[in-house]
Amino acid sequence: MSPRLRRAERASTPEEPLPAPPRPAGRVLDARLHLLDRQVVDADGAPVAVVDDLELEPLVTAADDGSAGTADGVPTLVVTHLLSGPVLLTRVLTGRPPHSRWHRIAWRHVSDVGTVLRLGLQGDALDVLWIERWLREHVVGRIPGGRRAPE
Amino acid sequence: MLLSDLLDARVLDADGRALGFVVDVRLVLDAPPGGLDGAAPLATPRVHALLVSPRTGTSFLGYERTSTNAPALVARYLRHRHRGTFLVHWTDVAAPTASTITLRPTWTPWSPTLPLPLP
Repeated sequence: MSPRLRRAERASTPEEPLPAPPRPAGRVLDARLHLLDRQVVDADGAPVAVVDDLELEPLVTAADDGSAGTADGVPTLVVTHLLSGPVLLTRVLTGRPPHSRWHRIAWRHVSDVGTVLRLGLQGDALDVLWIERWLREHVVGRIPGGRRAPE
Repeated sequence: MLLSDLLDARVLDADGRALGFVVDVRLVLDAPPGGLDGAAPLATPRVHALLVSPRTGTSFLGYERTSTNAPALVARYLRHRHRGTFLVHWTDVAAPTASTITLRPTWTPWSPTLPLPLP
């Protein structure tokens, strides 16, 4: 169940509309609305994974002294990886998979964001599909006729 | 840090009063073309702002951020449910932790409306 504030805790809602913020210089994406739970497809359009989470890291530039933060200590965060993993059970139990169970797809491989996220490389190059490759080699490939494409 | 560390986190002002919950994180792709390493097709997304709802920790389909008004009954209900949602810039965040985000004393609420796509 999603968190809620009790009625007595809520600040009053202002009557007048809020001002529009200054427009950012680049494309704007809302992470939950535009990225989470979206299908990821490879360069051939084959489904690869679903975006279950995003990995954020402090921005470190060549000019930084290693502090990776603003002058008063809160770092600028950037998205470095799309994460996919076994989240069904952990979400039911309101947790998330351990760090080692996530499959990571680097953001630099994402070539387009739309209804799906399109990658600029073949799915075979990604670790996220290891179980499909393993099943193809060890299970499907041993079935008579399993090593040729269907007619 | 994961995005889910920020989503649903409780947001407090500098005096410790609860303002709501993070329902979404606004990203901006304004880094130099090619990403941080110069080889990426898209710019690297940067955390630009948090969307905070004073009533609920969820957001469904983002009706409160767009001009979409169909189906009318659904749009009206969801807008009402998420009334009071505001945007706060990441630079107004004083202390982000896994479950609580404290804002600076000078934080400013902005409209959560998504800007129209760039031409």
